[in-house]
Order: sequence, then C-alpha cells, then structure tokens
Amino acid sequence: MAHEISRRDLMKLLAAGASGFALGPVTFLSGNSVEAQDAALPGTFPREQTLIARILTGRVGTPDNFNEWVGWKNRDRGMQNLANEPLWSVDFATGEIVNGLASGDPTYSEDFMTVTIPLREGVAWSDGEPFTAADVVYTIETLIAFDGLNGHEFLLENVESATAVDDYTVEVQLKVANSRFHTTFLDRWGCTWIMPKHIFEQQEDPVLFTHNPFVGCGPYKLHSFDPQGAWTAWEKREDWDKSPTGILYGEPQPQFIIYQYFADEGSQILAQLTHQLDVAELSANGLTALLAQSQSSRAYQPTFPFVVNNDPAITGICFNTARAPFDNVDVRWALTLAIDIVEYTSIAVDSSGTLSPVHIPHLGPYPDLYIGPMQDWLKEFTIDVGDGETFAPYDPEAPRRVADLARSRGYVFPEDDEFLAKTFGLGWYKFAPEIAEKLLVKNGFSRDDNGMWLMPDGSPWKIEFNSGTVLANHDARNAAAAVQQWKKFGIDATHFLTESDADLVAVGDFDVSGDWPGWEPWGAGPDLYRTLNQWNTAYVRPIGERNQGHQSRWTSPEMDDIIERLRETDPFDTEAVVAIGIEGLKEAVKNMPGIPTYGYVGFVGWDETYWTNWPGSENAYTQPYTHWPNFKYATPFLQPTGGA
Amino acid sequence: MTFVKRYLIPRLIQYFLVIWLGITVVFLIPRLTPSDPVMKMVDQMRARGSTLEPGAMDDIIEDLTQMYGLEGSWLEQYGDFWARLVQGDFGVSFFQFPARVNDLIAVALPWTLGLLLMSTAISWTVGNIVGGLAGYYTRRRWSRVLDSVAMVVRPLPYYVFAFILLLLFAYVVRWFPITGGASLGAIPTFTWDYIKDVLWHSALPALSLVILGGAINFQVMKLLVQNVNAESYVQYAKLGGVTENRIVGKYIIRNAMLPQITGLALSFGQIFSGAIITEIVFGYPGLGMLLFRAITNGDYNLIMGITILSIIGITTAILILDLTYPLFDPRVRYT
Repeated sequence: MAHEISRRDLMKLLAAGASGFALGPVTFLSGNSVEAQDAALPGTFPREQTLIARILTGRVGTPDNFNEWVGWKNRDRGMQNLANEPLWSVDFATGEIVNGLASGDPTYSEDFMTVTIPLREGVAWSDGEPFTAADVVYTIETLIAFDGLNGHEFLLENVESATAVDDYTVEVQLKVANSRFHTTFLDRWGCTWIMPKHIFEQQEDPVLFTHNPFVGCGPYKLHSFDPQGAWTAWEKREDWDKSPTGILYGEPQPQFIIYQYFADEGSQILAQLTHQLDVAELSANGLTALLAQSQSSRAYQPTFPFVVNNDPAITGICFNTARAPFDNVDVRWALTLAIDIVEYTSIAVDSSGTLSPVHIPHLGPYPDLYIGPMQDWLKEFTIDVGDGETFAPYDPEAPRRVADLARSRGYVFPEDDEFLAKTFGLGWYKFAPEIAEKLLVKNGFSRDDNGMWLMPDGSPWKIEFNSGTVLANHDARNAAAAVQQWKKFGIDATHFLTESDADLVAVGDFDVSGDWPGWEPWGAGPDLYRTLNQWNTAYVRPIGERNQGHQSRWTSPEMDDIIERLRETDPFDTEAVVAIGIEGLKEAVKNMPGIPTYGYVGFVGWDETYWTNWPGSENAYTQPYTHWPNFKYATPFLQPTGGA
Repeated sequence: MTFVKRYLIPRLIQYFLVIWLGITVVFLIPRLTPSDPVMKMVDQMRARGSTLEPGAMDDIIEDLTQMYGLEGSWLEQYGDFWARLVQGDFGVSFFQFPARVNDLIAVALPWTLGLLLMSTAISWTVGNIVGGLAGYYTRRRWSRVLDSVAMVVRPLPYYVFAFILLLLFAYVVRWFPITGGASLGAIPTFTWDYIKDVLWHSALPALSLVILGGAINFQVMKLLVQNVNAESYVQYAKLGGVTENRIVGKYIIRNAMLPQITGLALSFGQIFSGAIITEIVFGYPGLGMLLFRAITNGDYNLIMGITILSIIGITTAILILDLTYPLFDPRVRYT
C-alpha cells in the first residue's frame, strides 16, 4: 500500500510534522504558567536597584519547590542567603557566631540533658505573622514525626521533648547527654532551620508541600522565578525591620537580588564585563582574566594574592591509614618532609594560599586561640628518626620563604609582619628529604639502582593520588603538587582523576586523596569539636564499608579521650574548650593522618559599577560569598552607585 | 499481507526487543557503577554541616533506601521498575527528591526539542542543498570558497567554535544575550514578546549548531554529488540533451540524498539526549545538563528516564525510516 503515497505527499507530511514539533515547545511553555508570579517581562528589575549574583550549585531542578526541609533544593538560590534566618550562623570573616532568631547563646544543664534557647523578640515572618517559640517547638516536633524531612534522624535520636517556656524561650529535653546539640541549628552552609508553623501546620504532608511562595524571617521575600530554574528573584520586604538582619544591621540596600545560573566561567566573565553580573565566582585564571579586562571589577584583596583566603577549610593531603604503608606514622611524616612547601604552593595556587601546620585553617579566631599559642610546642616538637636521633620538623620561616618567592616573581604586596602572617601563615614544616630518607630506611624501605623507592618487600613503591576531575578544585591542585614533589623524591607517584573519587574514598579504596586532612571546623567560635570528633573510633568502618568519620580512617585512644572530654565540656567555656582543642591538634600533628597544607582559596570578582563597599579584606565586616547563609548581613552595608 | 507477515511483524518484534534490551542495560549500568545515590545524599548532608552519630547515619541510610525504592534485590527492583514504566511513570528523582522524573523531563524537553529540531532541520536542509549544488558546480568560485570555509569550520572543536560566536556576538557587538533561554524576569506566556525573547536567546546556540552541522552536511553531500555526477546514467542524460536543472534536481541530488536521509533520521532520534556542550556554553536549558547532573549524582531514575526516551527516539526513528524508505528509494520494495 505504500506506493499510494507519493513522494510529494510525504514531503508535505514531513513539513507539517516538523512545524508541529517546532511549535510544540512554545505551545507547551504557554501552558506552563507559574504560581505566585507577577506578570513580568524583561526589564522589570531596575538595574541600579538590583544586585545579580550567581547560583553556586547550578540550575535549579525543582524551581517551584522551596521546601528546604526535604532533600536538596539549591538553597543557595536565595533561600538560605536572603529569605531565611537560622537561630545562629557562623561568620568566618569575623570569627563570630551571629545570633539570628536566637537572642543569645543557648544554656545547657550541668548534665547536658537540657538546653534552653532564648529567642529574639520583634521578629516577623515575611507574611507578617510573628515569630515565636511555638515555631521552634513545632519544627522540632514535625521533624521528629516525618521521616522524609531533613534532620529527622538526628532529632529523633536526641530529643525527648521540646517546650515553649514562654513566647521567647524554648527548652529542649534530650534523650542522651549532648553538649553540642544546639549546633544542629548553627548555620554553616546548612543547618536545621525553623519552619513557619502557621504555614506548615495547614499541610497534610509537609514532605510533599512545595512551600511556594517561600515564607521566612530573612529580609527578602520571593519575587519571581524562572520555571526552568535559571534564576530566582527576591525583593526587599517592606517590613525588613522585623527581620533579624534589619534589627541587627539596618535596612538592606538592594531592592531586588537575583540569583542566576551560569553554566561556565566564560559566560560569568562576559556577564560581569558587560555589567550584567555583580558577583562572579571564578578560577584563578578566570579572576586574572577578569581583572585584566575590567575597569570596574575588584577582587577580595586589593593586592596580591587577590584571593579569598579566609574560607573555613584546610586543604591538603589525606592518607588512607587503613592501608599499608600509610598506616605507619613514620611513612606519613617522611612524605611530609619530602615536600618543599614553597615549591608546592607555587604549583598548587601560585603562592596565594595561607599555610597552616595544624589541621585547622589559619583564619577567624584560630590563629589567636590555637595556631599562635601552639608555636612554642611546634618548635619543640620532635620526631624519632631512629638510632636515637630526633628531628624538629617545624619551620616558622616557611611563610616568609613563600612570600619571597611570590615577590621574586613580580607580585607586589605589603611587607609588614601582620600582612605576611595573615596572608602566608605562621609556619609549616621543613623541606628535609634526608630526614624523610632516614625515616623510610628505618622502616625497611630502600632505593633501587635508579634511586626510586622500594617497599620493604622489595617491590616498587607506587602511590596513586586520587582527586576529582575538576583541575581547578583544591583536591586536584594538591594532588598535582604532591605528586610532583614525591616524584622528585624518588617515589613512583601518579595523579588519578576520577568522577568516582568520593565513592572510592568513602569505602577506603585509595592510597592518598585530596580530601581535607582535617574536617572543616565551624570557622567561628573556639570549639573544635566538629573537627576532632571526625577522628572518633566509633565512626571508623572496615575497608570496603562506607566510613562514617574522617576519610583517613585514623583514630587513636588518646584522640578518643580528648573527644570524650570535649563532649563533657561546656562549648561556651572558651578557656576549657581551647585547652582540650590544643591537645587534639597536637595529637593530630604527632600522627599526621593527613598533611594540612594551605587554607581554601576562593576567587571572587565584584563589579563596582552598581554596588560598592563589598566585604573585601580591607573591610571584612562579614564573609564575602553571596552563596553563604549570612550574605544577608552584608546587604545593609552595600552602597548603591546609581550606575554612574 | 505478505508485507505484514514477512516484514512488518518481524520488524516490530525486533523494534520492541531492542527497546527492552536497551532499557534493561540502562537499568543495570547505574547499579554497576560505584556511585550510590543514598550515600551521595548522606555525604552531602555531612558536607553541609550535619554532625551525624553513627546510629543516626544508619537510620538515614535505611530511610533513604526505602524512600528511593531501592529496597530488595535487583530483580525485585527490576520488576517494580517495569510495573511503573508501563504506566509511563519514571518514579522520583533521588537527588531532587520528591520531584518526579516525568516533571523534570517535561520542563527540560521542550527547550531541547525546540532548539535541536530546528537547528537539525535547518543545517540538514541548507547543508544538503548548498552541498549538492557545490558538488555539481564544483569548478565555480563560490563553490571553492564555500568548500574552504567548511574545511576551516568543520575541524574546530564545538566548544571553541561556540565560545567564539558567544564572544563575537554577545560581547563584542552585543547583538545577542550571553546566557539563558529567556531574559531575567521573563515569565513564560503565549505572547509575541515572550516568543521573541526565547527566539532571541536561542539564536546563538542555534547558529552554532547550524553552522557546524551545515558544514558537515555540506561536505558529505558535495562528495556524494560528485560521485553520482560521475555515474554513466548522468553522463548519458547530459549527452541526451536533458536540461541541467532536471539533471541536478531529479538525477543527481535525489539519488545522492539517500544516505543523508538515513543520517537525518538518526539525528532526530539522538535529539532526546540533549546537547550538553551547547547548554553549558550558552546556559541554555535542556536535557543535556539534566542528564549530566543525574549521572554525577547517581540519580538512577532520572538517568533511566532520559536514556529511555533516547532509546525509544532512536529506535522509532530507524523504524519509521525503514518503513518509509520505499518512498525515498523506488528500488526498495517490501513485497
């Protein structure tokens, strides 16, 4: 029967079909109307009143769903950073913990079975309803009741009951003693947020509820969003003075803030060069290109090293201490001393990282509370090289040598001690390949005829350094530098880039990785429990199973004891917390389960065409990232230029 | 009836068998990779700051396994998967829980279809017509110029070529936007303003695909036409005084087009995989990035949803091509 259709007919049919396909998407879009959106067309947002930043975590997959208590909802598109308010949040630039919905620190009973939370008065949700203790109690009870909500398991395991003592005081009875219970509400790029009771209690199933429009206690409310998830626009609340941001810091300046998705760095740079993006987050090369081309852009620091160097994470090298020979502390120290940190940081970050000899970064309160006071101990600390010989590995001059190299390469920056300490750190470890050699020989290692290292059983020593596949990320940067250094030392080291890095590391299928050598601390306040607790024996699982503690799988009875004592210490007793924290850091240095190298380095480009007074290094009134929860606290300080 | 029994029914059986096999492979592959969606979510919770006691973590793993429908043996999961699939339900996305995969695809698919259908159709049509003419009039100056341009453009890596276009037209002369499928603040409505805005944003991504795709079609068609032009029946027609237009249109291009039609069918089938590099360079919404993120996050259901569409798209395109081929090539008969 086919011959009854002529070719001409077929061509007509094909043309009709193609037209239908082409028009189909437009027809579909026309039916894809969005709730809670005003009629808006390009140009709705007056540019001089609008701040445009990037969504760090990519295009939003579920743009009409703002229920951040369920799964992952790209909360950095303005939910956590503009419209929401936690009880407390971390500000790593000032080292302070900011009281948001809480009016002060929580207080624990002596047995840590009860915690009392004081709440801020005069706060209202963005729909005008007052915020009270009932919201906090409702949140805790609802999260316990529904297993599909984030935080369910933690609260179920920890909370016996939650009671509103009065409108602005909540008392939580715990099932087990927990001196850090409150940290589940401490926002450090995520925490347990408080639900608006009057909204959620009307829902049959809070897990399926989309929470659209978003109702929060932050200074901004939802304006509109792209159904394809490319942007979300927020507008300043008329009653901004009823948000903790307004109460603490005054009126936010931008009328609108838009978080926009940029798929790659190139488009971010072009957008900022054309003043369509106020805040760009780039790679080192991207920032260099932007600053070279733009007359109106600035970096976090006005001089070298330009970068954001106060992110609360210490990068470096993570050993798999459950796998030989990395289960041997002498081997770990040998690999540390085989590194020339000057060359290393030059390769990894063009000498722009701040060194830290301990497993926390050099920022916020840590230099004053920990790294500074530990200097004497670090200088006196020795390792046993064998044959009765000891070696003091610490080198307080290392940062100056890094600075000298940077200066010799033409970078210009201040020479005062304060700047040098803040930028390059207080010290690191000596480059001592001869000591590294002794440590290895002591443990049965040897060199072959070509000078390459052999394992104690005579086989060639090969080290595979795992990292993710993004070369700009710090795991890959550390990997590239470490592999180069260890190769020079005579080890057959290779860099293994894989998309499955996290999975391989989680089950212990690796030698060395670029995971942080110490778990990220809070970044504010004196407490190091968050870092040290990851080395708890209770969290270690056998190779092949998913580990629940630090990726190194290292632990020790001494560290367990330190963690236990920290648990029994009031987190607000600074003196006691710091004393135990220093013990914990010393234990980590002695055992070196991972090598801390330099603090996380970020690359931010701010356009000053429409907004100035960014929180740069010379005026770090708050943390600098627009994706962090407390970006909202920067909004009252930004100054509009009018676009002139 | 002979056609139905001897060709159509076996061909349809083959069609469904290929789809079943493809879908089964798609079911298995994510489960054979080291990427575990439950642990991905747990890792993300830890990275976001949740301090989890071991007991709490075990409970979370159990809850997520249950919510994601990953309980039971692979065989049981396979049974559940087909039970859902025959109802057209791809299940929930793990990474974007509790969003349904169908909904996520429904949001991205129209953009991919709109861009790739149009650009494929245009690049195929223009590339073949111009390539056909250039193959026949191979000594003309314009033919040699176009050939040189195609030789320069075609080997360019797409990413580089697309970025050059972006740089030239979005930054230097600023005729087109830098990123996105529509302007900031534009809300989808069936209005001329919105359609214009979408077309304006689609222009550069479409241009990049049309130019590179057109160059490929141009070169292939030019070679095909040159070969056909050398055939004895074409020479005979010329000697017989047949008009040049008739020789080009009826004798040469129509014959040279046959392999290109097969290529077009395959290109349409592959549309459902999206165009990931185009989406990255131009920030264009579509299935490509959705699939990429699903793979990196171990989002089994979303991977399966998109890949199944692609499998069905390609196999259906080939089936339609097979069944309609006699209309293009009179030498083929299913009798």
